[in-house]
Amino acid sequence: MLKVLRSLRSIALSWSGIATLLLAWWLNTRLGLFPPQVLAPPERVAAAFVAGVRSGDLARNLVASLSVLAAGYVIGATLGVAFGVAMARSRTIESYTSGLFHAIRQVPTIAFIPMLVLMFGIEATFKIVVVGKASFYPAALAAYTAVQGLPRRYFDVADVYRLSPLARLRHVILPASLPPVLTGLRLSLSRAWVALVAAELLVADRGIGQMMELGRQTFRLDVVLMGVVLIGAIGFLLDRGFKRVERLLVRGAPA
Amino acid sequence: MSRTRPEFEPITAGRSGALAIRAVGKTHHIDGQPLEVLRDVSLDIGPGEFVSIVGASGCGKSTLLRLIVGLDNDYQGEIRLDDRRILSTSLDRGIVFQDHRLFPWMTVEENVAVALDRRPLGREAKKKLVAESLALVNLSGFEGAYPHQLSGGMAQRAAIARALINEPKVLLLDEPFGALDALTRLKLQTELQALRRRNQGTMLMVTHDVEEALYLADRVVIMQGGPGRIARIVPVPFPHPRDRGSAAFARLKDEILAELMREPELGSAQVTILSQDRRR
Ligand SMILES: Nc1ncnc2c1ncn2[C@@H]1O[C@H](COP(=O)(O)OP(=O)(O)OP(=O)(O)O)[C@@H](O)[C@H]1O
Ligand SMILES: [Mg+2]
Repeated sequence: MLKVLRSLRSIALSWSGIATLLLAWWLNTRLGLFPPQVLAPPERVAAAFVAGVRSGDLARNLVASLSVLAAGYVIGATLGVAFGVAMARSRTIESYTSGLFHAIRQVPTIAFIPMLVLMFGIEATFKIVVVGKASFYPAALAAYTAVQGLPRRYFDVADVYRLSPLARLRHVILPASLPPVLTGLRLSLSRAWVALVAAELLVADRGIGQMMELGRQTFRLDVVLMGVVLIGAIGFLLDRGFKRVERLLVRGAPA
Repeated sequence: MSRTRPEFEPITAGRSGALAIRAVGKTHHIDGQPLEVLRDVSLDIGPGEFVSIVGASGCGKSTLLRLIVGLDNDYQGEIRLDDRRILSTSLDRGIVFQDHRLFPWMTVEENVAVALDRRPLGREAKKKLVAESLALVNLSGFEGAYPHQLSGGMAQRAAIARALINEPKVLLLDEPFGALDALTRLKLQTELQALRRRNQGTMLMVTHDVEEALYLADRVVIMQGGPGRIARIVPVPFPHPRDRGSAAFARLKDEILAELMREPELGSAQVTILSQDRRR
C-alpha cells in the first residue's frame, strides 16, 4: 500500500515538471511574449505532429534516424568495448594508443562533421560514422576501467579452484565487468543519439534533425518544436529501455 | 565416520594431509621497498590435526596462508604437503578467506558449484555434492539466495561449504569468523568443531580470538610481527567438547594473551619454541 502510494507520488512529481513546462509554454504564447512564428503554441505543434503522422513524413524520418543510430551504435559500441578490453589487458596496446585515444576524445564529435562530409557525403554512411565515433568513446572507457578494476580477490578464488580459462571468462571476468560496461553502453547510446541529431541538423538528406532544419528554413517553427519534443522523448525512452535491459542482465547485487 | 559416497571417489582418498613448513621467509615489496613479512617460519602439522595461529595484526598470518594454499610461490624455504612440494594451488587444499569472497552475481548454489569446475562429474552428481555440502553447513533452503541476501554468518557458511566440497586434505581458514558478532561466532565455532569430527582433513586456522583458538585447536601457534615469525607453540591438552569456563582453560588463555602482549625485542629474531613442541 505504502509502496503504491510512494510510486504514485514519484510518478505525479515527474509529470508535474512536464505539466509546469507545458503551462508556461502555453501562457507565454497566450500573453504574446514571443510572436507565434517564433514560439509556436502547443496546439499548433500537436497539429504538426498529427499532420506528420498522416503524411508518413514523420515515420520516414524517424526510420531513417533510428536505423542509422542502430547501425552506428552497434559498430561503435562493439569496437569500443573490444578496444577498451584490449587496452586494459595489454600494456603495449595501451602505451601505443592511449595518447591518441585521449587526444581525440577531447574533440567534440561535431567538430569532425565538415571533414566527414567531404569524405563520406551526406548520406547514411556519414551519419553512421558520426554515431559510431560518438558511441565508441564511452564504451571504450567503461570497458577499460571495468577490466582494469577487476578485483584481485575474485581471481584468487578462481585460482584456488583452478578454473579453466573459459570458466574464468564466463564466471568471473564477464559478470564482474558487466555492470560498469553496461552503464558505459547506456551512456554511449545517449551520446550517439545527441550526436546524430546534431549531424542531421547541420548536414543531412533525411532524418529527424533534417526535418527540423527544413522546418526552420520554411519558418515552420511548430515542426521544429515538434522535433525537439520527439528528440527528448526518444532519448528518454532509449535510456529507460536500456536500464530495463541492465536490470535483466545484472544478477545479484554489486559487491 | 565420513560421509558415504560410494559412487564418487573423493579426490583426496588415500592421502593423509601432513603439512611441513620449513624455514619459510617472504618479502613483500611496497612501492619498490622490500618489506620482510615472514622470517624462518617452520611448522609441522600432522594429518587430521587442527592448528590455530594467533598473532598481532599485520604479522604475516594471511601471507603465510596464501603461500600454503599456493596463491604465491615467490618465497624462501619450502612447504610440503605429504612430501610433495607445493608449487601452485590444488584442489587438495581449500581456503576460507578473511572476507567470504562469494561472487555477488552467483547464487549460493552456483558459488559452491564453482569449486567443482575441474571435477569430471555430471550435472546431477555435482548438484548432489552441492546439496550435501550446503546441508553440512546448515544452509539447505538457501540454494537460490544471492550473497547480498545472506547474513554475515550465512555467507561465511557458504564459503566453508565451497571450501569443503572437494574434501581437501588441508583446509585453511583465515579469520573466518572475524567479522561476525559474538553470538554467531560461538555458534559457528561449535558447528566447525562438529564438522571437523565428520571431515577428517587437516585444519589450519588463523584467528584474532585466543578463546576461539583454544576451543578448537590441538595446538596454538603464537606469531610475532616485524618480521613475522613463530614465537611459541602451545599444545591444548583439553578433550572435546571443551568448557570455555574451566579454570585450566582460562589459565592457558591468560598465558597466551600475556605472550601476545609481550613487546617483541627490537632487533631480535630469536625463535623460542618449547622443546616438547618441536615435532620432527
Ligand atoms: N600483496 C602485498 N603487497 C605488499 N605488501 C603486502 C601484501 N600483502 C600483505 N602485505 C604486507 O605484509 C604484512 C603482513 O600482512 P598480512 O595480511 O599477512 O597480515 P595478517 O597477519 O594477516 O594481518 P591481519 O591479522 O590484520 O589480517 C603487512 O605489513 C602488509 O602490509
Ligand atoms: Mg590477515
